[in-house]
Amino acid sequence: MTPRAAVATSAATLLALAACGGGHATTSPPPPDTVALVASVPIPANYGIHDQFVRDGLDFVCAWNTGLLIYDVGNGVAGGSPEHPVLVSSLVTSTDGVQGGAQVHNAWWFWNPVTNEKRYLFIGQEGPASIGLSSQGDIHVVDVSDLSHPVEVAFYHMAPVNGQTAGTHNFWVDEAHQILYAAYYNGGVIALDISGTLSGDLASREIARIRPGGDGNTYVWGVMLAGGSLYATDMVSGFWQLKLVDSAFTVLGGGNNVPERFGSDQWVAGSYAYSGTWGGVARNGVPGNALKIWSLGPGGAPTLVDSIVTHDIGTVSDVEVTADDQVLMFGAEGGAGNGVYFYSLAADPSHPSLLAWYGVPTGIHTATFATIAGRRYVFAAKDPPSPAMLVLDVTGLAP
Amino acid sequence: MAVGVVTRASPMPYDRTITEASLIEPMAMMMARWRALSFTGVLNFEGWTIPHGEISPGIWGEGYDDRRHPHTLFHEMILSLTGGVAPGVRASLSAGKGFAPYGTDDPMNRPALLYPVNHHWSQVMERAVLIGGVQSGRVTLEGGLFNGDEPVGPFSWPVIRGRFGDSWSARALVRAARGVEVQVSHASVKSPEYRYPPAGPTHDKWSASARYERPTATGHAYAMVEWARNSELSGTYVYYTALVDAELLRNRQRPYLRLERTDRPEEDRLLDPFRSQRPSLENSILGISRWWIATAGYGYRLRATGIRLEPLAEVSLAHVVMVTPGTVFTPQQHFGGDNILTLSLAIRIGAGMPMHRMGRYGVLADQGEPMAMGANRMGE
Repeated sequence: MTPRAAVATSAATLLALAACGGGHATTSPPPPDTVALVASVPIPANYGIHDQFVRDGLDFVCAWNTGLLIYDVGNGVAGGSPEHPVLVSSLVTSTDGVQGGAQVHNAWWFWNPVTNEKRYLFIGQEGPASIGLSSQGDIHVVDVSDLSHPVEVAFYHMAPVNGQTAGTHNFWVDEAHQILYAAYYNGGVIALDISGTLSGDLASREIARIRPGGDGNTYVWGVMLAGGSLYATDMVSGFWQLKLVDSAFTVLGGGNNVPERFGSDQWVAGSYAYSGTWGGVARNGVPGNALKIWSLGPGGAPTLVDSIVTHDIGTVSDVEVTADDQVLMFGAEGGAGNGVYFYSLAADPSHPSLLAWYGVPTGIHTATFATIAGRRYVFAAKDPPSPAMLVLDVTGLAP
Repeated sequence: MAVGVVTRASPMPYDRTITEASLIEPMAMMMARWRALSFTGVLNFEGWTIPHGEISPGIWGEGYDDRRHPHTLFHEMILSLTGGVAPGVRASLSAGKGFAPYGTDDPMNRPALLYPVNHHWSQVMERAVLIGGVQSGRVTLEGGLFNGDEPVGPFSWPVIRGRFGDSWSARALVRAARGVEVQVSHASVKSPEYRYPPAGPTHDKWSASARYERPTATGHAYAMVEWARNSELSGTYVYYTALVDAELLRNRQRPYLRLERTDRPEEDRLLDPFRSQRPSLENSILGISRWWIATAGYGYRLRATGIRLEPLAEVSLAHVVMVTPGTVFTPQQHFGGDNILTLSLAIRIGAGMPMHRMGRYGVLADQGEPMAMGANRMGE
């Protein structure tokens, strides 16, 4: 089918679609009573909170130059719960000479099924960038075997690519195979061997890298491993299906398929994928207010089947689907409709239906689901000027 | 005083033509002196007349892009103590809200109607300042402490607690000849765009300029040339500007010209393409654009009973290129083209005392220079 939003080439067209009841063109509905704010934890306004990784009742809060903050949100190590997060420890990672400070942006707590260790936390440093051209920031490895005393033990630094510095963004870890995949903006995507003991410079651990869009057409936001493929969203060149074969990446599908907008985050659920768009600047006059819906073919190749366009937002900042593939969530920034959006995938994952919107006027940078003590929560990062970790109880949100 | 203006600019973001009428620079000024004490005050009412800014291609700052932000209600409120400290040496201490001793004159004091792009590179204003000045002969030295945070709205105040004194500037000014002054200044402005805590980068600024202003038999002649450099994150981002201003007032006629080349940061826009994220979420930008702008105007001064009037017309042609080609920002995509034409028709109205040269306090305001000779001040 012809994707509705894919034919839209201007803001005026999008408005026209909305006026005509164009399917998934939406405006913000009122907040529901099935999304309950249960905690709001202020984070120092040192550029605030960017991302969180929640696992086993621990929330690894990435708080920019305040560093990494580890909260007990139900683990029990410090008596915390989702309603009463308790700070366990913190760490400001090294700057590695990158201007702007530690700039702790994202994290992944690696549970190694081979060694049964839960020792390493990978942190992404998001340094200064000229978006589309260059970026800065390293991967930092922190030993969290003693949660109360995290220690930085290793790093990975990418050398300049075509004369431009390159820095990391979002991660995905193939834990079974002990491989970390990292989006690297203009550096593309890398695969790192994270088996065994990690120490010092991990340059020799690099397995492979790829710049899927090629020169001048690569600026990768995020990666996700699903069904044996590595999916990558590139801000410039769209949604890609990649695969690591032996020691090299191969392009299996996708690419150059979101020409009217810049790309942002992604999530793959079952035989569908969902990718956001970014509106730090409109592309050809079109803001980043669309969520793209992809059908994954038998081999996993993405085909665009629909889009959700939300008119009063500027950017779809983060995308995630619950582990049961029933609820789609995305964060929004840049407009009056800022906040968190929830869609049901139960009836038709190719045409999600709006469940709820939780408005946050200053914007939500990222949001992630977590199930703790049988209840489903969202841990959201509220943007400055009063940044906070927001904990939403969404257990009652029925798909 | 105030200026009623109709401005038409094209192309503006998303290839639009915008025509807009607005009341800009509505201000009330007061100067008072008692013995060694002097007070300078300027109230600016743009928070009410242009809350969404004034259309002005290329201008940026305080979360506005291609719209000049409204200035704060208390634009300048400075108390100065000035006196002789040694034979031929005068000193002053000034405090209040106003300009840091850095850079060139407020664009409102200068010939053109629309602001130059370099406003935030060449002036540091609307801060809580403490300024010491010393003047001997042709040389004036100033040093100032102030808060680095820039205003976050037309009714905001500087953050004093925890921020006053986190930034400083110094300026050396030489009156090289009659009507000629040359200045070099430096400023270290901590986190201007991240108010509290001061989490943003420090701006390291240099400015140099030469200014000429002399009365003539039929009016006055004015010219100014300036250069400035702004470095952030220890040189990660460096922006330059160079500008020439000139006007000739001859009887009632006032033709003027401005040529400018200024780099500006392209910042993450909100859904409103004229607004950018404040405070920023990170240290990234969309690239650096360079604005080449030629502006020419003509004013004709009238005088009614107690009221000064000046109808004026101004045309400005901007050419925009990217200093950082390859980023997601291109003028062609954002504006629909890289040449932007702006036309303005305006009428300037003034009554009472003429506009003084803003940002000059204590010994600098008190050197016997004509108080009303500024290009745009309609004091003649």
